[in-house]
Amino acid sequence: MASLKDLKTRINSVKSTQKITAAMKMVAAAKLRRAQDAAESGRPYSTRMRQVIGNLASKADAASAPQLLVGNGKDQTHLLVVMSADRGLCGGFNGTVTRQTRAEAARLRAENKTVKLLMVGRKSADALRREFGDLYLDQYEGLQGTSVSYSDAAKIAETIRTGFEAGEFDVCTLIFNKFKNAITQEITLTQLIPAEVDNSDAADGDAATVSYEYEPEEDELLASLLPRNLSTQMYGALLESSAAELAARMTAMDNATRNAGELIDRLTLVYNRTRQANITSELIEIISGAEAI
Amino acid sequence: MAETTQLELVTPARIMAQQAVEMVVAPGVEGLFGVLPRHAPLLADLTRGVVELYQNGKVTDRFMIDGGLADVSGASVTILAERAIHLGSADAAQLKTQAADASDDEADFLNAAIGALS
Repeated sequence: MASLKDLKTRINSVKSTQKITAAMKMVAAAKLRRAQDAAESGRPYSTRMRQVIGNLASKADAASAPQLLVGNGKDQTHLLVVMSADRGLCGGFNGTVTRQTRAEAARLRAENKTVKLLMVGRKSADALRREFGDLYLDQYEGLQGTSVSYSDAAKIAETIRTGFEAGEFDVCTLIFNKFKNAITQEITLTQLIPAEVDNSDAADGDAATVSYEYEPEEDELLASLLPRNLSTQMYGALLESSAAELAARMTAMDNATRNAGELIDRLTLVYNRTRQANITSELIEIISGAEAI
Repeated sequence: MAETTQLELVTPARIMAQQAVEMVVAPGVEGLFGVLPRHAPLLADLTRGVVELYQNGKVTDRFMIDGGLADVSGASVTILAERAIHLGSADAAQLKTQAADASDDEADFLNAAIGALS
């Protein structure tokens, strides 16, 4: 049985852990509101951009359209862009991304495809380094958190674009946590190259069948639009992922705080019982000593 | 009431405008163009310039945009701009202070907006 002093030390250490987790929870909650606003107000832009691109992709002619839009006709090398957090202590957030990446890589390999990875965020990059380290195309850190900037997103998009143009890969898929609400994150896979053909808005049926006029010419327009779309999608994903990370951290730290509370209650009970047992046994010693005389 | 077009001006940060207008004038890369209701579907690249919204033949609202994309289809116009400033509510002095701390590229845009204000 642990001594009273041991128990006291234990209780104190759990208490300070609880203070830390409670503080982390509050920090995450405070940051979450801003990140959530940013993610949610960024959605209309990226959804509309995706609609336009999807629309173009559904009408594009595979032979003449730019490869960024319709792909280069091959399906051999897949690039997975993996977006995780730079820091831990956020529950299953990084684990889900890592697991999904591993599953996706295994699936592609089973189909005899080549897999390459582009890591955004430190945690998954570290977790997968031993297994897939030699497949890393590039790695980015420190882009998430409170200040997601468009130019960072554009930088990643640029890496992807140059990689694609150099023939490093044929298909590019983005894996990230989408912010659903403060307690749920949704792991999402989005195909960036070739652009996903948009079949969803059947309501826009008549709009989809009419052909657009382009200004300037279609190729010129697409040449400026497609890289921009890539940056936009990256930016949207960064915002979503940052908000999701904070939400995950908030939930995880809330749980940790509650668990610490329960642990303290249990330890305090044991402490009090031990103390009483000690008093009782001391009394017995005194009484039996007195009786013996 | 004359026929109207549903305009949406969206930036990565937020939806700047969402309203029915009679005509939109947007700065295309090949020159300004106006969009009236029932305009033929058009996808246009935009350059830095001013988007003007018309109601009853008069300009009701102006936005400075830093390039973007206009998607005109049937009854709606969607303008996707990476940066936009609402000129109706902007204040030249405030933009000037913003431009002073901003990066070159952004300051350039803000100065252009100040130019459009006066």
